[in-house]
Amino acid sequence: MEKKNVILSLYPTTKLLMILLIAVSVFIIPSYLYAYAMFLVCLVIAAMGNVTKEFANLTIKGLFSLCILIFVLQSFFYPGTHVLWEWGFLAIKQEGIHFGLTLTSKVIAVGSSLILFFRITPVKDFVYSLEVMGLSPKATYVVLSTLTIIPEMKKSSQVIMDAQKTRGVETEGSLMVRLKALLPMITPLVLSSVASTEERAMALEARAFTVNKRKTSIYSIEKTGRDSFIRVLLLVLLILLIVWRVAL
Amino acid sequence: MSYIELKGISYKYPVGDEKVLKDISLSLEKGKVYALIGANGAGKTTICNLIRGFIPHFFKGDLDGEMLIEGRDIREWEMGDLAQKMGYIFQNPFTQISGTKDTVFEEIAFGLENLRVEVPVIKERVAEIIKLFGLESLQEKNPQQLSGGQRQRVSLASIMVMDPEILIIDEPTSQLDPQATEEVFKIINIMKQRGKTIILVEHKIELIAEYADRVILVEDGKVAMKGKTKDILSDIKAMDHGILLPQYALLGYEMQKNDRLHEIPVTESEAIGVFTKWMAGKEN
Amino acid sequence: MKRGLKHDFSLIAIMLIPIGVGLNVAIAQLVQILRLPIWLDAIGTIVAAMVAGPWVGLVTGGSTNLVKSIFTPTELPFALSSMAIGFTVGMLSKKGMFKNFGKTIVSCLIVTVIAVLISTPIIVWVYGGISGSSASAMTAVLLASGQRLVQAVITSMGLLELIDKSTSVILAYIIVNKMSDRYLSKHNYTQSFIKSNKKSKVA
Repeated sequence: MEKKNVILSLYPTTKLLMILLIAVSVFIIPSYLYAYAMFLVCLVIAAMGNVTKEFANLTIKGLFSLCILIFVLQSFFYPGTHVLWEWGFLAIKQEGIHFGLTLTSKVIAVGSSLILFFRITPVKDFVYSLEVMGLSPKATYVVLSTLTIIPEMKKSSQVIMDAQKTRGVETEGSLMVRLKALLPMITPLVLSSVASTEERAMALEARAFTVNKRKTSIYSIEKTGRDSFIRVLLLVLLILLIVWRVAL
Repeated sequence: MSYIELKGISYKYPVGDEKVLKDISLSLEKGKVYALIGANGAGKTTICNLIRGFIPHFFKGDLDGEMLIEGRDIREWEMGDLAQKMGYIFQNPFTQISGTKDTVFEEIAFGLENLRVEVPVIKERVAEIIKLFGLESLQEKNPQQLSGGQRQRVSLASIMVMDPEILIIDEPTSQLDPQATEEVFKIINIMKQRGKTIILVEHKIELIAEYADRVILVEDGKVAMKGKTKDILSDIKAMDHGILLPQYALLGYEMQKNDRLHEIPVTESEAIGVFTKWMAGKEN
Repeated sequence: MKRGLKHDFSLIAIMLIPIGVGLNVAIAQLVQILRLPIWLDAIGTIVAAMVAGPWVGLVTGGSTNLVKSIFTPTELPFALSSMAIGFTVGMLSKKGMFKNFGKTIVSCLIVTVIAVLISTPIIVWVYGGISGSSASAMTAVLLASGQRLVQAVITSMGLLELIDKSTSVILAYIIVNKMSDRYLSKHNYTQSFIKSNKKSKVA
């Protein structure tokens, strides 16, 4: 069973604390080398949790391309005097490169830790742990149902699009033609989904959703001794980081 | 004292000037299956909402008259008690799945979790309902991946697991194919056998002839006809209120024109009985 | 009109939050399929806010970016601007700023200003001026032509946001006006959309 996995079997809030420490630490230690190292730490944790592929995919697609853009822009346009390379009005400056590295290292460290968190923590487990800590079941409902509604809605928008096409709404051609297609596409989607809220609310009411503030749950996850151990370890690391920063 | 009683009920939604229910009085007995029939917009769903207490607890508007469950006015009932007393199945199979559960088993357990039932008891009751409704093959599936008919059966199970005394079912099969419709009605029949009081809105008149004990014909916010299923569905006057009688009854009336039938049949088994007797009469 | 948050978050209003988020995502996808040069990724938030008020609008906007950040974490900081858009539209609805088309146009401008005011510092501080959106290319061009960073971001964002948010608000306005009175009457911020109200005012 995957539950036996060293990383995956941790309690959601333990994982959250771990990820938070990684994200916060890049603001304690200013060096960009440290921040880039934190990306490697995320990568190692992802490998331990058997989610390397998804993790790598999302970081490359979502983070790296953006960071390269940011880096290039900063090296050219950040104000500075140490010009390294010049071509016409474009000039790469030492200060720009430094600023670009610092900025992208932080974006990558924080971004990849966030990506990591959701790869090693099922959202269901995460909201379960929050509900145990006192989050309202209504908030839990919003989070979980949002995640199931999105794919359903994408599907129904596809259905509406096909239906409108067969009824003669043009979806190809000039910008004006495509713009005109917009209203007949989104109107039925919005109206039908918004109208469904009434029945959704009554259906929840029919299942006693608002009767009690707290509920029982047949789904449960529990903290183990390892969670406590890791939490203490994280605290020690945080103190060490602060000491390091002050000593620097 | 009647089990469910509506005394001179009139109701108007917060917007618009027209009353959707006009002076409705009904008295429903425990353990019977009542079918509400009538054209769309006649007020059937509004009556369902009223009996369940969604009016006035959920819908605002002007409500006159008395709506009593076990002699107690609906306005005095707590929403939580109503949720346990009465189950409600809606017509859209896609809005009733909570959307927060990964498996059918957990989905069915949702209502009991909300009622704070102990976990071992929940598991026992859910397993029981799954067995009763024959949903074993679905229990580990993701509710999001079910077909309309499967969802509707899971919705029924999700309500029945809460063991309500009264079951309000509003056009459960309007979006289902014939086979799925039959599966749903099998389950409704199990509920009937268990002595539940059922209020059913349904357009398929043959199914009403088969399963309902009483028929209430609603037209333009008023009760146009009410009585035993057999009496209403074999009464040609129902046609004046926009109801198409069961085919067997229509056939019976057609034959009445030439020959005398001793009664107008409404279900298949009645038709076989009536026509066999008629044939026997012919031969003599 | 002191009724508090509990009044705003009625069960039916809560149901609008996941629907609003779903609409944001689904419509943005549709816009991509139609290859339109705008985003329109806040129509769900705007509809929810028009109908159910500033707080539901704020939560819908925030949730949208939280959900997106599960896959694209760089969206997370913009939760602030989504929340501001939802809140602003809700307040405008409360003040009757969607009563007619003229007022709606004014609302478009207000929403655009708020969107730019909140997004610009995020883009400048968090991403150093580039957020990867289509405004970034324009920002780069403006920077290359010698404009200051903040100015470049505001100019490029302002133009795109004006087109995007105005289109979104107007589409939402048209669609909410098509909703039935019976449905609208179940929400708290729909007075200016209910047709029978409009008629009785004319009479």
